[in-house]
Amino acid sequence: MLSRVAKNLYWMSRYLERAENTARFINSTTQVLLDLPRGASFGWDVLLKVAGLDALYHKHYLAANEADIMRFLILDERNPGSIVASIHSARENTRTFREVLPMEIWERINGLYLYTRDNAARATRSRSQCYEVLSGVIERRQSVIGLLMGSMSHDLAYQFLKLGRNLERADMTTRIVDVNSAVHLPDDAAAAETARERLWMSTLNALSAYQMYRQHVGVRIDGPSVLNFLLRDPHFPRTVAHCLGEIESCLSVLVNYQVPLQIASRTWRRLEAMTLDDVSPAPLHDHLDQIQADLGELHDAISRQYFLLHEQSQEQA
Amino acid sequence: MNTLVRDYPAKEFFDELIASDGQPRPAARALFEHLDALDAAGLDERRQAVNAAIMTTGITFTVYSEAGNIDRAWPFDIIPRVMSKKEWTRIEAGLKQRLTALNLFINDLYNEQRIVKDGVFPLEVLKGSKNFRAQCMGMTPRFGVWAHVCGTDLVRDKDGTVYVLEDNLRVPSGVSYMLENRQLMKRLFPELFQASVILPVDDYPTRLHDTLAALSPRAGVRPVVAVLTPGIFNSAYFEHSYLAQKMGAFLVEGSDLVVQADDCVYMKTIAGLRRVDVIYRRIDDDFLDPEAFRADSALGVKGLMRAWRAGNVGIANAPGAGVADDKVVYAFIPKVIKYYLDEEPIIPNVPSYLCMYDEDRDYVLANLDKLVVKPANESGGYGMLIGPRSTVEEREQFAELIKANPRNYMAQPTLALSTAPTLVDDHMEPRHLDLRPFILQSDKLYCTTGGLTRVAMTAGSLVVNSSQGGGAKDTWIVDVDE
Repeated sequence: MLSRVAKNLYWMSRYLERAENTARFINSTTQVLLDLPRGASFGWDVLLKVAGLDALYHKHYLAANEADIMRFLILDERNPGSIVASIHSARENTRTFREVLPMEIWERINGLYLYTRDNAARATRSRSQCYEVLSGVIERRQSVIGLLMGSMSHDLAYQFLKLGRNLERADMTTRIVDVNSAVHLPDDAAAAETARERLWMSTLNALSAYQMYRQHVGVRIDGPSVLNFLLRDPHFPRTVAHCLGEIESCLSVLVNYQVPLQIASRTWRRLEAMTLDDVSPAPLHDHLDQIQADLGELHDAISRQYFLLHEQSQEQA
Repeated sequence: MNTLVRDYPAKEFFDELIASDGQPRPAARALFEHLDALDAAGLDERRQAVNAAIMTTGITFTVYSEAGNIDRAWPFDIIPRVMSKKEWTRIEAGLKQRLTALNLFINDLYNEQRIVKDGVFPLEVLKGSKNFRAQCMGMTPRFGVWAHVCGTDLVRDKDGTVYVLEDNLRVPSGVSYMLENRQLMKRLFPELFQASVILPVDDYPTRLHDTLAALSPRAGVRPVVAVLTPGIFNSAYFEHSYLAQKMGAFLVEGSDLVVQADDCVYMKTIAGLRRVDVIYRRIDDDFLDPEAFRADSALGVKGLMRAWRAGNVGIANAPGAGVADDKVVYAFIPKVIKYYLDEEPIIPNVPSYLCMYDEDRDYVLANLDKLVVKPANESGGYGMLIGPRSTVEEREQFAELIKANPRNYMAQPTLALSTAPTLVDDHMEPRHLDLRPFILQSDKLYCTTGGLTRVAMTAGSLVVNSSQGGGAKDTWIVDVDE
């Protein structure tokens, strides 16, 4: 496998995962907004921080309001993480290695791109259209994954796709959970309690995790249990723990995996050691920040190990 | 009477599908019976389905413009170009004859130059050839073959004669569109393929792989074959990727390759360096190796020529093969065939006037309004003068160009290129076309069944190049009793 191709596969997979999760992130936020009780408020600024996009946003927009933020997250190509930009990048990336993928994958990705390009503007018009269009994006992206799993040999190219997907997914799960820290609960204790429960339910829904949580954890929705589930459950496919497990299994079939694997193990250990009892905004945000930083280091280790041979030659040129 | 054919004007030019009596030719009869079973709406539906399929499969080519590189969908006409197997068999033999002679010719030019010494090919033409590479002198690649992949453009004149218009021996492109055109037609008109015996075209990637694999310097090892592309911004990138995919080869860019001190070529993989045996390069000679050719090339691989000369890597087409891909050299090919094979050319050349000869030049200058004038080394239809459509100013300008550099120009009579019915809204109109078959040679010879039919989509236009508004048709070689 060429280093350049490995790098492009990895990034293509990250872009697609990012697009899907941004769609989930938006749907989740919309749900939270709908469920806010009287006396509670939502911090749009905090939402941008959670997404890691506050600096970029304020470069192009004056105020943090819903309409502009939605536009920025869905179709603004000046934001490389917007849904349209991510899918566009994924498609352009795919062109550079069409030869290693089954033909139909390209057709699906191209179809996803055409759908997104043609419908994104509609998604910013109303909350209901937004939900419909973003569900269409999620569905089409899922069909790419399904086709990959069902029609592609689990070869090296597949491992790099899987690496990118899981790294991005783990990171985005922490960000979706972090949306909770953007909400200011009402002062009334009873109202706050109900609101809190609804918030965590929205988080589970955004990650399609509600049903699995009920089956495997319990009926009661409380912050620490949900957090523990979304970060540390080994079996649900969008939890940080599950993604780390997938990353480890990918690394173990690649060559020279020692260094990246060490970083992955360290991330595990830190995750295990976290005390997740307090889910008020500040400690919650700190925990999630820590995980994001660790995932960033894991990405760096993977880049250094597998992509660097190619990047060095680019610098020379 | 077929409704589609009824009002079709088939008299002015030779039409590939409709005879001068207004009836479909034998090879096209089954086609029109089926097309007629569809009403206008049905036909339009198929055409829209084709366009949709082109969008989703992303069959595109890139057009360079000041506004940036635009990815355009492939313009495709759903009415195929049809030819009988009997006629094709003769053409195929002619193409193989031609490539065999061309390779003997190229190998001779880089070695003994017998053909020059024997006075058949003038030294001054060789000296003036932009694509002659002194760096290749003394080399004999495996099998003595330099041009492994050749795309030869064929045209048909008013009287029905098929001519070779030019040989593309550097990096001919278009074969992926030939393959995709057939896929599209099978997807949209499966019933047509049941009704006629249409010869398949899809063995090309396998044959290309075999042709390349035969060039591997390492015996007994499964050869590592790589397609070398200039990258995603090249107009033929789609094809590079497509062929690599179909052959199971690596698609590499110059920056993926490195020549080590052992003069072998390696590619940079996630597990370190891996030896490459054969390179199907889709980069011009000039950019291939900054050490041997243009020093400012960022697309190529430093030391590639060294590795090739040492016999450590096969390169297709070999560097320098373009020496025979020159519109002045072209005029000598009938003599070249006679000289090396002692045979008459099966497919004739278009009669050509070489401006380097006084007599020819005087004729050309006196008849610029009737001739097509071509520079020796341009491709893609650029830098040409089409006499009958030129202005006085253009002719004056070309007369100056010719006088300043006669070796660089040749001229041909303006051919009345054949036409084929092409769908325009709900009816058919004649459009001019050509045919580019692809011929392969290493240890064996192979020719595609038919080739890529390129069609000028604009009424009356003779320019079929995709970069200038041309489109394509599927090409059917049909086994039919005549």
